[in-house]
Amino acid sequence: MGRRASLGATLGLAISLAIGSASAAWAGALKIGYSDWPGWVAWQVAIDKGWFKEEGVEVEFEWFDYVPSMDAFSAGKLDAVGMTNGDALVVGATGGKSVTILINDYSNGNDMIVAKPGIKSLKDLKGKKIGVEVGFVDHLLILNGLEKVGMKESDVTLVNTKTNETPQVLASGDVDAIGAWQPSSGQALKLVAGSTTVYTSADEPGLIYDVLAVNPATLAARRAEWLKVLKVWDRVVAYINDPKTTEDAVKILAGRVGLKPEEYKPFLAGTKLLTLAESKKVFEKGDGFKSIYGSSKIVDDFNIKYEVYKEKQDVGSYLDPSLTNEVAK
Amino acid sequence: MKRTKWFQVRKPLSPASRTLFGILSFVVPLTIWSLVSYVPWIWHPQVLISNPGSVGYLKPGMRANRAVFEQEVETAIANGAAPPEGRPANPVYLPAPHEVATAFYTSFTAAPETRDGVWLHESLWHSIQIIFWGFLISSLIGVPLGILSGAYPAAARMTEPFTEFFRYLPAPAFGALAVAILGIYDGPKIAIIVIGTLFQQILIIANTTRQLDVALVEAALTLGTKRRQMLPRVVIPGVLPNLYRDQRILLGWAWTYLIVAELIGTSTGITWFITQQARYQHFANVYAAIMMIGIIGLGADMALAKLGTRLFPWDRTEATS
Repeated sequence: MGRRASLGATLGLAISLAIGSASAAWAGALKIGYSDWPGWVAWQVAIDKGWFKEEGVEVEFEWFDYVPSMDAFSAGKLDAVGMTNGDALVVGATGGKSVTILINDYSNGNDMIVAKPGIKSLKDLKGKKIGVEVGFVDHLLILNGLEKVGMKESDVTLVNTKTNETPQVLASGDVDAIGAWQPSSGQALKLVAGSTTVYTSADEPGLIYDVLAVNPATLAARRAEWLKVLKVWDRVVAYINDPKTTEDAVKILAGRVGLKPEEYKPFLAGTKLLTLAESKKVFEKGDGFKSIYGSSKIVDDFNIKYEVYKEKQDVGSYLDPSLTNEVAK
Repeated sequence: MKRTKWFQVRKPLSPASRTLFGILSFVVPLTIWSLVSYVPWIWHPQVLISNPGSVGYLKPGMRANRAVFEQEVETAIANGAAPPEGRPANPVYLPAPHEVATAFYTSFTAAPETRDGVWLHESLWHSIQIIFWGFLISSLIGVPLGILSGAYPAAARMTEPFTEFFRYLPAPAFGALAVAILGIYDGPKIAIIVIGTLFQQILIIANTTRQLDVALVEAALTLGTKRRQMLPRVVIPGVLPNLYRDQRILLGWAWTYLIVAELIGTSTGITWFITQQARYQHFANVYAAIMMIGIIGLGADMALAKLGTRLFPWDRTEATS
């Protein structure tokens, strides 16, 4: 890492604040931002095993908190970032246009609305407070859930809360429920005895796809390298799914986030990792949640309706199935 | 050691009392923490479940609110089922002193789990470097500017009104801009420390410079000091011990910006450790890391204070601080 170089650069910049910014990375390693979500932590297997080198592609994975990773991507400092298909639209609408070339997984229960003891269903949340990171993925989960039981956003009060802090916020009693993904959702369940999930992403599989979203310029310039990254992903999924190697894979994933392997296992269960062959089907155009086109379209409608952003996004321009189709057998 | 002496305004303490009070200043908070942690009837708003009995949702090792727990015990007994068992506990985010002490040790000895992982001491060293560069850059600008402002009213009018304005702007809010200009690594983090420190620094240094005894300036003029000699020969030597003390306080100030600074861009340093541990509710580790920052900060300050008495033997105020 060019840490020393960047320190020198800072010195220069601080003294004469007038220097303009330079250079998205056009050469060198592909810079990919990832954060604490099982479908992205999965990359750690390939990093630890040196599979990128084996495929002949140079990558640098940078560990972030989720929202800062998207900020860095918007600022043009990353070639790609792991985010949800819905957040890709949110980020794109505010200036960080991306193209999804790979679907890592869909959330299959890891995203949850956890309510304090006594609240048994979404309906009970009428007039209550829900802590959630407003404008991002689990806000969407809440809207989707509420609509199913015939409620609107205005029927509840959303309290903007950092996902990391949702367990403590639920425990504080100042809100009646929280929306979060693993590990925070699970920590909330553990921290507040008697709390239950009233809605999860398993109730609407395909609402939340987790993807690799690439900067369009880098994609055009370095397509061949991205194809190799996709090949590596297929190896990762195979390694995690193969019963013979699952244990080793879980150990690597748990190590990345600082947990014991047996503590990490449940997180994988709530995430349906997709092989390229499986994503190929998801990448087919269609309506409804089975297709990422349909899912993103629904998310776009939601975002407009609830004014997460103002202008309709051209969903098709955010998705490029061609790489997956090319590599998938 | 007469007790009445303690309550005389600005009366210096005897060395023995100084040591005693110094130790007490740490012992008292530590005792309060221990009492809250170890005495079951102080606070302990939760129950750590040891045996869930007949209650389905309770699991061993879980913490339930006491009211919920008592409710479940009553219900179980009323129904003739096995009541849950447990002992009073504090919330998971207030670990006991011995847990933090253990975490302090184990977090240093635990090897990184992944190939690109780092040891805790490497994270700490990274954070120290961020502070070092941030404070150095801030000082390179802030100290000269502050001295000029303190010495020359014209310079003061040119800098201080804007500085007064800017110092209220929240440094972390510049995070996105810093990332856009300086990238995702250490650049934006250092920039946040600089923004957070610099504007206070200019004002504090200017103020200190202004407090230089006017008699010194007048004496120098009477003795025929030339205008260009005033600053290097009279003003700076005159305020140097006080500037040094200001810098120590400002260094502490820079440390308080570390956690917000390190949240910008990639997760690194001690903040990476703290947020990652907090996400999985390992609060003993979180407090251990917070303590480390305290120890490093206090240690550095004490070393600088010692150095100060060597550098400025003529400074009288230092002895009593």
